[in-house]
Amino acid sequence: MSELGIALRFLRGRRLAGLLTALSVALAVALIVASVVLARGVRTAFVEGTTDYNLVVGAKGSATQLVMSVVFRLDTPLPNIRVSSYEGLREDRRIEVAVPVALGDAYRGFRYVATTSAYFAPAPWRRTTLAVTAGRWFRDDPPGQPSHEAVLGAEAARRTGLRLGDRFYEGEEMAAHPLTVVGILGPGRGADDRAIFISLASYWDMNEIARATSDKPLTAVLVRPRRMSDLPGLHRQLNLADDTQAAFPSVVLLTIFNLLDVAEDVMALVLALVAIVSGLGLAVSMYRATWERRREIATLRALGAGRPAILRIVVLECGLLATAGAVTGVVGGEALAYAGARVLAGRLGVVADPLALGWPPLAVLVATMLVGTLAGLLPALTAHRLDVAEHLAPVS
Amino acid sequence: MTDGGPAIVARGVRKVYARAGATPLPVLDIAGLTVPAGGWTALRGRSGSGKTTLLNLIAGIARPTAGSIEVAGVDVAALPEARRDAFRMRHVGYVFQSFNLLAALSALENVMLAMTFARARSHGEQRARAAAILTRLGLADRLAHRPHQLSRGEQQRVAIARALVHDPPILLADEPCASLDAASAHAVLGELVALCRGAGTTVLVASHDDAVLGVADRVLDMAELNRAGRAPVAMASA
Repeated sequence: MSELGIALRFLRGRRLAGLLTALSVALAVALIVASVVLARGVRTAFVEGTTDYNLVVGAKGSATQLVMSVVFRLDTPLPNIRVSSYEGLREDRRIEVAVPVALGDAYRGFRYVATTSAYFAPAPWRRTTLAVTAGRWFRDDPPGQPSHEAVLGAEAARRTGLRLGDRFYEGEEMAAHPLTVVGILGPGRGADDRAIFISLASYWDMNEIARATSDKPLTAVLVRPRRMSDLPGLHRQLNLADDTQAAFPSVVLLTIFNLLDVAEDVMALVLALVAIVSGLGLAVSMYRATWERRREIATLRALGAGRPAILRIVVLECGLLATAGAVTGVVGGEALAYAGARVLAGRLGVVADPLALGWPPLAVLVATMLVGTLAGLLPALTAHRLDVAEHLAPVS
Repeated sequence: MTDGGPAIVARGVRKVYARAGATPLPVLDIAGLTVPAGGWTALRGRSGSGKTTLLNLIAGIARPTAGSIEVAGVDVAALPEARRDAFRMRHVGYVFQSFNLLAALSALENVMLAMTFARARSHGEQRARAAAILTRLGLADRLAHRPHQLSRGEQQRVAIARALVHDPPILLADEPCASLDAASAHAVLGELVALCRGAGTTVLVASHDDAVLGVADRVLDMAELNRAGRAPVAMASA
């Protein structure tokens, strides 16, 4: 029988205590893995979900709120700007593309995003282009002639169960303006997955205030200049205007990352404490087991096992417990992260696939096995120093 | 072991336990002890007379405060600990009063333990030898049983198997029948005698049981052998 075999049998001999110890390690590891993976997922999702446009133009107010509402749809929109502002930008020679966006109400939690076909148009500078996988795009209706056609983001289509040709509305006041599903987008990674896209004409027709005004409302305009050198001038000019502001999405993203950094630092501190508590728990459990087993260890010594062999057996036993807890914890943590990602994606639409992030769980796995083995050193040294003759007699 | 010579020779062996904040406690003071090879020698004495301490010193489990103990021609008291462990593993079998079987291991695995650390035999050979001696002791159908699933008599037979499975030239037994009822003690003793006499094993057994003393070739009285019990004050200052 090998030393590993003896360690395994020692574990079998205290199955319940071992299971509980491994479970406590697994819970700590799962918490660490899920937190790290989700935090990285959120960060990645913000990067992947950000816009390819360089400026977001909207009403005066918080630049962060403007970007968070228009690009990530994680905040309430600022007050409206007028469509004339958009028309002014469209005529500006310095601007290559200006895309109007109006954020409306929601159908079963999925927000209406009114825009034009320019929003979906491919361009060399776009990292990803949205594509319709079923049906077609909505028509770019002229004002006053709304078609009430809708194109659903992939997640919105999946969660609402709407299919091509379905007519839908939410609230009795909208019964007179039902929308018809004409297209469904393929899955992307950003907030567009959770959007219901309609034409501006349809949006204005559904909006009581918009129907009554000639200068129609918009939430924002996405802007890309012809030359990057024009960007500072445009930014300054739009911010000096009475009714608009221009925000750099990249700057807002940096603000978000700074906030995430603080949150992650706090989280790292908490997780470090969790790891220490878990390691101490493992060491205490093994110390207790070793102390209760001192007569058996003395017997092993009397049978010829040297002190190094005893040390190896106890460290092996502790390492096995830590490994069992680490493997279970990593699997559980990944499952937890996956479930958490689904929940966050369902609510916020920003979390990337946690299973695509390979190395943190592996690092936690290796670290746990190392810490677990180190935790076995204290009880192992206790066993190592045991006075054999003193402990061969029955433990009273 | 030297041919025809004694298996164990102890000279001037003393064991004194140091106690923090108290007078050192002498437990053993033996001027001389010789155990002939191949024989069955019994140590008779009441509890606390130093029998177990003497067996532990001979086995190299503990070191004497003074004196020499030659076992099979080697002064075990002079060996460093690692070499004492290795020496014991090859030359000494030890039967404990309370069996000292490992609760998490089966009967077969408990017996295999005696060969595990020597690493002289393959796993298969260890298993075969352990199964053979357990079978010889009437435990063929108990190989996979764990200690709590065995009677006390069966547990002691497993302990005997463990002490003898690696063919040690010397067997030390500490009150081998004290934890057993009369019937079990009789059976266990018979098996121990048969195994040791057949193999020519030198046996040193500590007991105050007349049945055990009755099978010995020679009985040594610890009251006469151990001077520590007679003059504790003098020993303490020694």
